[in-house]
Amino acid sequence: MDSATELRGWINGDESAKEMLERVLTERPLLLLPPLHRVPLRVGNVVEIVGSSPSGKTQILVQAAISCVLPREWNGVYYGGLERLVIFFDLDCRFDILRLSESLKLHIMEANRSSSLNNGGPSEDIQFDEELFVSCMKRFLYVRCYSSFEFLAALKTMHCQIQKESEAHGVGVHFLMIDSISAFYWVDRASAMLPIGVHSIGWIPEKASAMLPIGGDKRKHISLQSVAETVVQEIQKLLCVQPMLVLASKATVFGDGSISSEAKRKWSSGETSDLKTSRMNPQKYSCRDYMPSVWQSFITHRVFVRVSDDLVDSKHQTMPIYETEWLLPPLSFLDKFTVKDAGIFMIA
Amino acid sequence: MREGKQSDQCEPFAALTSSVAMPPLKDLEREFSEVDYNFQQFCASHGILSVEDFLVHDLNVLVAFAEQHPTSKELKQGITRILSIIDNHHQPWLNGMKLLEDALQNKHVLSTGCEGIDLLLQGGLREGQLTELVGPSSSGKTQICLEAASNVADKYMGAVMFLDTCNSFSPRRIACFLTRGVSPSSKEDKKRSLERVMSNIFIYSVFDIFALLGVLQQLECKWRSQVYTRDNQVKLLIIDSISSLITPILGGNGANGRSLMISAGLLLKKLAHEHSLSVLVTNHMVGGEGGALKPALGESWKSVPHVRILLSCDRGGNNLYYASLLKHPTVASGQAVRFMIEE
Repeated sequence: MDSATELRGWINGDESAKEMLERVLTERPLLLLPPLHRVPLRVGNVVEIVGSSPSGKTQILVQAAISCVLPREWNGVYYGGLERLVIFFDLDCRFDILRLSESLKLHIMEANRSSSLNNGGPSEDIQFDEELFVSCMKRFLYVRCYSSFEFLAALKTMHCQIQKESEAHGVGVHFLMIDSISAFYWVDRASAMLPIGVHSIGWIPEKASAMLPIGGDKRKHISLQSVAETVVQEIQKLLCVQPMLVLASKATVFGDGSISSEAKRKWSSGETSDLKTSRMNPQKYSCRDYMPSVWQSFITHRVFVRVSDDLVDSKHQTMPIYETEWLLPPLSFLDKFTVKDAGIFMIA
Repeated sequence: MREGKQSDQCEPFAALTSSVAMPPLKDLEREFSEVDYNFQQFCASHGILSVEDFLVHDLNVLVAFAEQHPTSKELKQGITRILSIIDNHHQPWLNGMKLLEDALQNKHVLSTGCEGIDLLLQGGLREGQLTELVGPSSSGKTQICLEAASNVADKYMGAVMFLDTCNSFSPRRIACFLTRGVSPSSKEDKKRSLERVMSNIFIYSVFDIFALLGVLQQLECKWRSQVYTRDNQVKLLIIDSISSLITPILGGNGANGRSLMISAGLLLKKLAHEHSLSVLVTNHMVGGEGGALKPALGESWKSVPHVRILLSCDRGGNNLYYASLLKHPTVASGQAVRFMIEE
C-alpha cells in the first residue's frame, strides 16, 4: 500500500462523530429506570441509592432487575426489557425471591393483556407464559454473603462465573447490584481495632491481647478501609472486561452511638407512626457519608430515597408514598412513587 | 455441604469475623502440593500469610511479581490454587429459579395461632425470615411469642427453641393456649397432648450477648454436621427479648457493640435460611427525650429484620391490642389490625 493512502486513511479516522454516537448509543443504550428515570444511566455508571430502612431501596433494585431480565420482545409481545443477566449480591441477607417472582409474573401478564387488547383479541384467555418466566428468572444470578470475607471471595472469583453464565445464556451481564454496601460497616469497623491475625482463629479476648502482630509492616490490615479498597478495585477490573451498570443500596447510619438531633426531635414529637422513616434532610446525609472515601469517589450517581408524610388512598388501604431526590447530580426535583404488587408506580 | 477446610472448634466468637474459618497458608501445605515452602516465602514477602490476606490483595499485581520470579510457573499455579480455595469460601451462586424452588419447597409459613397477627402477615411467620415484635411493655409481645411457641409445637410437630432473657417463659400460659377452644375431652387426652407439646419446647436462659452468640454458634455447629428428619426439626426460634441482651453493649462511642449486634443478626438470618426455621425476636421500648417512647434497638438495627411489627395496647383495657406492619418484604407496610389476647 502506498504511504499517501495509508496516511489519508489514518487522518480520516475510524468513524465520524455521528457514527460514533450511533454506535455508542446502540452498544451502551441510555437506561431509564423508574423511579430513577430523571437521570439517564448507562453501563459503567455506579449508582448509590441511599435511604433509611424501609424506604423502598430493595424495591428499586428488584424493579431494575425485572427490566433487565425481561426480553424486548417475545412471541410478538412487547416487554421492553434488555434480555441481559443481573448479578445480585445480597449482603443484608434479606432478599425475598417471592417479591421478584410475583412482580415479574404480573409484568408478563400485563404485557400479554395489553398486546392481546391491541390485537383486538379477547382479553379473557390470556395464558401465562411459563417458558418466558423461567428464562427470565434464570437470568437473575444471586449470591448471599454473611461477611465481608465472603463478599470479597465471591467478587474475586466472579469473573469465571460471569463467563460461564454468559456462555450458557448467550447474553452478557448488564446490571451488578449490591444490597446493601453498608451491611458489614460496623463489623468491619470493629475488626479493624483487633490485632492482626485474630481473624483466622476466632476472637477470644485473652488470646487477642497475647497476640503479637505477625507479618510485619507489609501485611495489610483487614479493615473497613482495605475491604472498601478491594471491593472498588475488583469492580473496576470487572467493568473493564464486562461493562455493567452498578446499583448499590446504602442504609443511612447514625453517628457513633448518639442519635442525631433530628431523630431526637422526631421522637420527642411523640408520634410512634414516625417509626417508619422520618422526613429527613438528605443534604445532612450526603455530608455525613460514613463510607471510606475510596468508595465515595467511585460513585458516579447518588439518589436519596425516603418515605414521605403523605399516603395514597387506594380501595382497600392506605399505602406509603416514597420520594426520590438526586444528590449527584444535584437536582431539585422530587419524584414520588408508590409500591404495589406489580412493582413501582410513579405518582404525577 | 460446603467443601474446603472447616474448623471443628466451635468458638463462640468465630461468628464475629467469618462464618468459615480461613486457614493460614502453612496449614494448606499438607493438602495442596502447590502451596509449598517456596510459595509461602513468596507470599510472605508480599505480606500474605493467610487466605484472608489474599482477599485484600490485587491478584493481578501478585501475578506480575510472580512472573519476575525464577519459579514463576510454580508460583502462578499456587495462586490459581488459592483462587480455587477462595471460591469455596463464599455461598453458592444461585439463579432465580433455584431460589424460588428453595423458597417454595422449604420455606413454609407457620401460623402463630393469633388470628390478628396471621392476618397481618398473610398467613404467619415465614421460615427463613427474622420477624421482630416491637412495642412498649404489656403490649402483647411475650404473649404472641408464647402463643406462637405453643401453636408451632402443637400443629406443626416441630421443635421450638425459646431463648428466655428475662424469665418471661410461662408453661402455664402455654397450657392455657393449648386447652382453649378444644372440646372437652378426657383428662388423659389433655395431659398427653400437653406433654407432647411441652417436650417440643426447649427453654434456654440467656442473660448476655456472649451467651446468645455461644448458643447460636453451638447450634450452627451441631446442625452443620447433622442430618435430621423433617419431623423433629427446630421450626421456630424465639428470643424474648433480644433488645435486653443488646442494649447494655451499645453504650459509648465504639463500634464493638454495634458489631456484636449486627453479627448476632447475621447469624440468626443464616440459621433461619440454611435450616429453614423462623426466628421471632422482641424489642422493647424505652423513654426517649421528652418522654416519648422509642424502640430500644433503633436506627442501625432496622436493617436486620425481614419483618417488623409494632404492637400497642388499647387503653380501654378489654385485652384489645393493635398491631401494625412497619416493614415486610412482600406486604405493603402501614397495614394494621386489632386483635384480642385471651386471659
